[in-house]
Amino acid sequence: MKDMLLYLLPIVILAVGGFSLMLVDAFQKEEGGLAIPTAMLHFASGAACLALWNYAGSPADLARAASAFNGWLAFDRTTLFLDLIIALGGGLASLLAGSYLNEHKLERGEFYTLITFASAGCMMLAGATDLIMVFIGLETMSLGVYAMTAFRRTNARSQEGALKYFLLGSFAAALLLYGSALLYGMTGHTDLAGIRAALAAPLDVPGLAAQEGGALALSVQQTVRDRVVILAMVLVIAGLAFKIGAVPFHMWVPDAYEGAPTPATAYMAVTVKAAAFGAMLRVLVGVFGDTTGAASLAGGWPGLLAWLAVASMVIGNLVALSQSSIKRMLAYSSIAHGGYILAAFVVTPRAELLPGGEGTVGQSAAASVLFYLLAYAVSNIGAFGALMLAGSRGKEAVSYDDVAGLGKRHPAVALALSFFILSLAGIPPMVGFFAKYNVIRSALEANYTWLAIALMVNSAIGVYYYLRVLVKMYMHDPAPGATRAEPMVSPGIWLTLIFTAVLVLVMGAMPQTFFGYALEAVKLAVAPVAAAATP
Amino acid sequence: MGSIQLTHYLVLSAVLFSVGAVGFLVRRNSLVALMCIELMLNAVNLTLVAFNRWMPANPGGAVAHHGQVFAFFVIAVAAAEAAVGLAIVLSLYRVRKVVRTDDANLMKE
Repeated sequence: MKDMLLYLLPIVILAVGGFSLMLVDAFQKEEGGLAIPTAMLHFASGAACLALWNYAGSPADLARAASAFNGWLAFDRTTLFLDLIIALGGGLASLLAGSYLNEHKLERGEFYTLITFASAGCMMLAGATDLIMVFIGLETMSLGVYAMTAFRRTNARSQEGALKYFLLGSFAAALLLYGSALLYGMTGHTDLAGIRAALAAPLDVPGLAAQEGGALALSVQQTVRDRVVILAMVLVIAGLAFKIGAVPFHMWVPDAYEGAPTPATAYMAVTVKAAAFGAMLRVLVGVFGDTTGAASLAGGWPGLLAWLAVASMVIGNLVALSQSSIKRMLAYSSIAHGGYILAAFVVTPRAELLPGGEGTVGQSAAASVLFYLLAYAVSNIGAFGALMLAGSRGKEAVSYDDVAGLGKRHPAVALALSFFILSLAGIPPMVGFFAKYNVIRSALEANYTWLAIALMVNSAIGVYYYLRVLVKMYMHDPAPGATRAEPMVSPGIWLTLIFTAVLVLVMGAMPQTFFGYALEAVKLAVAPVAAAATP
Repeated sequence: MGSIQLTHYLVLSAVLFSVGAVGFLVRRNSLVALMCIELMLNAVNLTLVAFNRWMPANPGGAVAHHGQVFAFFVIAVAAAEAAVGLAIVLSLYRVRKVVRTDDANLMKE
């Protein structure tokens, strides 16, 4: 019991905090003032993750954590790393929300309760090692984010984006659930370790093999089971791919990103992705990552994911080229970033040892995924924060034309926006470059040369539309009579941006150190990557 | 004809799920889409409960009830989902006076 509370601390802080925020909001006389407490809750949760890092430092610790939860949640370093990204993303997004909602007269306390509960859901999803837990975490996260998307109640775009996000998200959840139900039926387990073990063993029906024609009946049943498991796997991949916005499941992304209030956009771009990729890591590598088992399902999904990755990169980047809204451009570019992460994901089941003796190819790829998620989180929060800062009530910075000439009118704001845009584009020495570099290295280590080339070509396309923002800001003058963005006065957003910028630079200056943390996080994981290490 | 077997339940739930999925993709009324999602979730519940009913007992003789527990969670979450979904549909209706997903077309590529 004591152990359980200790391991649950990151989630408990957010869950209890969410209820307290609700009470405070209900009883306080004036609206507002909840942004800083919400951010503090997230940072406290992040601090708890850091403190727990050493409690997940040995296989014995992991066994203790696993027995505390009967296999429902894993509190290994992978979970803690992802939880840290979620806590960071949620905390910074709520700091941004404090200024943004106030400026745009949207300040209502519900937003902070929603963000806190959604973060708790994200953490559950990131640590889930049971299909029931995956579903509960996914829905806790999604229901909060749907409501945050619809938060601009009088704005039709916000409502439309929320409706599309909700309908497609629920559809995806239903697909995921049907896949889970089939997996349960075929194996008798809902916990991922049990499913893995059941699939690795050949099918055995007691007494059947001894009957006349029993061997044939058994082999027919085995074939049926394998087919159904593959169908279930495809359904689960589709359900999770919806959440990360991979092509062809990306239709909701631009509308939801554009319609949502910008802090909510930043939040869902960062944390939902981190949590969904975490769940994917556990489910795909954890259950189907076994290349030696009888079913040997690892042969199928990496190829499927490779195509999803390339489709996401190409379509995300090409459509981003033709956008006139920066927010929508960032939405399409987030689809492309999802594609880059998926490219590293393709390599994760590979169990060959690296030449340097630093773990396996698959572990290095999984570490690239985690590193990319962290780098993407800080760069993206910064980019959306700078975009918020560049506009004020009635004079928002949304389209390229809005920011024309911003470099001359407000050099500091333009510099902030340029800084994070360059990190997203992957220009060294910002961290975005090293994130892409790691993914390309992982792809090359596993001899996916074509994937690495596709990634490089797509990054080059990406640079074009990212630089267009800079060109607009510094080299164009606003058209006469056009609306132009006026930056808001907000020390809170400035502070957040400076903090984020420091993270981008520090991580860019010491990529090896942070990649080392990510590698440590995957090396000592409960089921997935650790099992791949022992061929 | 024999008695009703697991296969019957599975076929029924697969049909229900497909009806829901096709309905979701074809119909353009957001309330019908919500109903289709409920249909899909209930098909999942049927699958889970049927599998659980026919699950062989453990060596100790006990039957685990993960499937039924899962179904309860699905029911509870589906209710929460419907509440949020209806709130969003209502809120869109207040702003734009439309319920059809075709009419939610302010944002284009």
